[in-house]
Amino acid sequence: MTAAVVATGLVKEFEKGRHTVWQRLRGQPDQRTRFRAVDGIDLRVETGEIFGLLGPNGAGKTTTMKMLSTLLEPTSGTIEVLGIDVARRPREVRARLGAMLSGERSLYWKLTARENLEYFAALYHVPPKGMKERIEKALTAVKLSDRADDYVERYSTGMRQRLALARALLPDPPLVILDEPTVGLDPQSARDLRDRVRDLRAQGRTVLLTTHYMEEADQLCDRVAIIDHGKIVALDSPAALKRTIRAEEIVRLDIGLEGDGAALLERLARVGTVARQERTNGTLAVTVHCRSARELVPAAFDAAQASGATVRHVEVVPVTLEDVFLSLTGRALRE
Amino acid sequence: MTLAAADLRAFVAAVRKELRTVRRYPTLWLGLVFWPVLLPASYVLMGQAYSGSDPKAIAAFAERSGTVEVAGFVFVGFAMYMWLSTILWGPGTALRTEQMRGTLEAMFLTPTSRLVALFGPPAAALPTLGLTFVVMGAAMWILFGVALPLGGVLRTMVVIAFALPALYAIGTLFAAGVLRFGEIGPIVQLVRGIFVLACGITFPVLMLPGWAQAVAAVLPPTYIVQDIRAMLLRGLGLGDVAGDLAITVGLTGVFAALAIVIFHALERSARRSGMLGRY
Repeated sequence: MTAAVVATGLVKEFEKGRHTVWQRLRGQPDQRTRFRAVDGIDLRVETGEIFGLLGPNGAGKTTTMKMLSTLLEPTSGTIEVLGIDVARRPREVRARLGAMLSGERSLYWKLTARENLEYFAALYHVPPKGMKERIEKALTAVKLSDRADDYVERYSTGMRQRLALARALLPDPPLVILDEPTVGLDPQSARDLRDRVRDLRAQGRTVLLTTHYMEEADQLCDRVAIIDHGKIVALDSPAALKRTIRAEEIVRLDIGLEGDGAALLERLARVGTVARQERTNGTLAVTVHCRSARELVPAAFDAAQASGATVRHVEVVPVTLEDVFLSLTGRALRE
Repeated sequence: MTLAAADLRAFVAAVRKELRTVRRYPTLWLGLVFWPVLLPASYVLMGQAYSGSDPKAIAAFAERSGTVEVAGFVFVGFAMYMWLSTILWGPGTALRTEQMRGTLEAMFLTPTSRLVALFGPPAAALPTLGLTFVVMGAAMWILFGVALPLGGVLRTMVVIAFALPALYAIGTLFAAGVLRFGEIGPIVQLVRGIFVLACGITFPVLMLPGWAQAVAAVLPPTYIVQDIRAMLLRGLGLGDVAGDLAITVGLTGVFAALAIVIFHALERSARRSGMLGRY
């Protein structure tokens, strides 16, 4: 079976800085530098799966999506979408691709949902015969049928996101790509949208999405690529990625102390792996990976007492993709 | 459905979308009535204040412009100015509006032709513009007693049909600039000023120095404005302006070729730099 997306050696460089007309007229040297937003990504998304690109803001997720959807030209590398070369036959790719890249801003707020979809259906070359049914189907899929004739300006952010998803479904695409589909949504709306994404998989479509919410990637995706500084640092199913952390449990501690805490950290390292430490205003926040919190927590209290420090907060949590990211990059996803 | 038919449907949908949006801002329609009358009327009244109905002044004006109808000359010039502005900046304005709104990328994600994005929204302005012309014609007749002959109006339509491709080609050049550079308002204003000065919008081209007349000779609007005045105010036929129409068609070829090459080059550049989604 043909993979839905195959990207090989994908690189995108942008220029950083400015070289203004005034600088050019004065003969000043061009001091712009080039930076790599995407740095050699190899990707294969299988047909029928929900594939997630997980990473912090600025990791290169959106740039990758824009290259896959023909909006950006890669500096180097090749992309095939549904077996079609994106560089050579972009129009054919666009005809088979449902994309939701800039969410609620990509809609006409002074039109109703139905008018928006009528317009985009024509742009997607949906045949006139059956266009109404296609629009109704898309509205039903995102549960907006009852508000289809309201102006979009009267919608909530979540409803606009759902309408943007409905638009992406108009060409009846085998592949749907969604860039941060739940960003800015309240928990209920986000849950609702995730359900719609699961429906897409149930209909046999392939979904490629980006997110910086680890829970979203964990709950929704069959496979996840963790991306940082334009590179894929890990790629597997969420469960397999979490198994790479050699720990059963994660303990987060907030410890109040005066000194540098080196001795305390050394003692903690004897009973677990100190994955992260951050000092703010006399508090040392530590994340420790361990086999058993029952063993680590008393040891942490003993270590604190021995160092003249106080344990202020203890939290025991299961391993998440956040911990995987942390162990791979040394940073939290939200940093 | 063939690709061309699908694009034509998309074009019609773009026009309908634009008309629906405009219809929801009813106060915009007030502007259609006031400015097209007030602005040219103030120029005519200013001219009358300078020279009254002095036959010598009228004769001097007729020598340079080919007509004694001062009000007709100014009103037709302003009508042409509004029309040229709409056509020339229409494609660029359409793309810029989509870019600022955040819908440009969504349009460019669809398989529809770029021509739809360029010329669909400006085409929606044409009925409005037609209404403006009717208001101006009525004002000219009621306020200054200048009635436009029906035959002249019909022949003007033919000149407009010849002129549209050239004007849209120039408009596409500006639209390409939007894709690559985003805001090109100041350049548009500059070129608009040059067109007003060089193409005989509010005064005869003969008033310009020789070098400026040479510049005017390679700008399609010069011929279009001149020919439309000849149809409406001097009663000339299409045969009388055939030479001008031939030049317009020739210039259309030049500008269209330039527009195609530059639009493709700048669209590709925008795809490399990521300008499609930025503003």
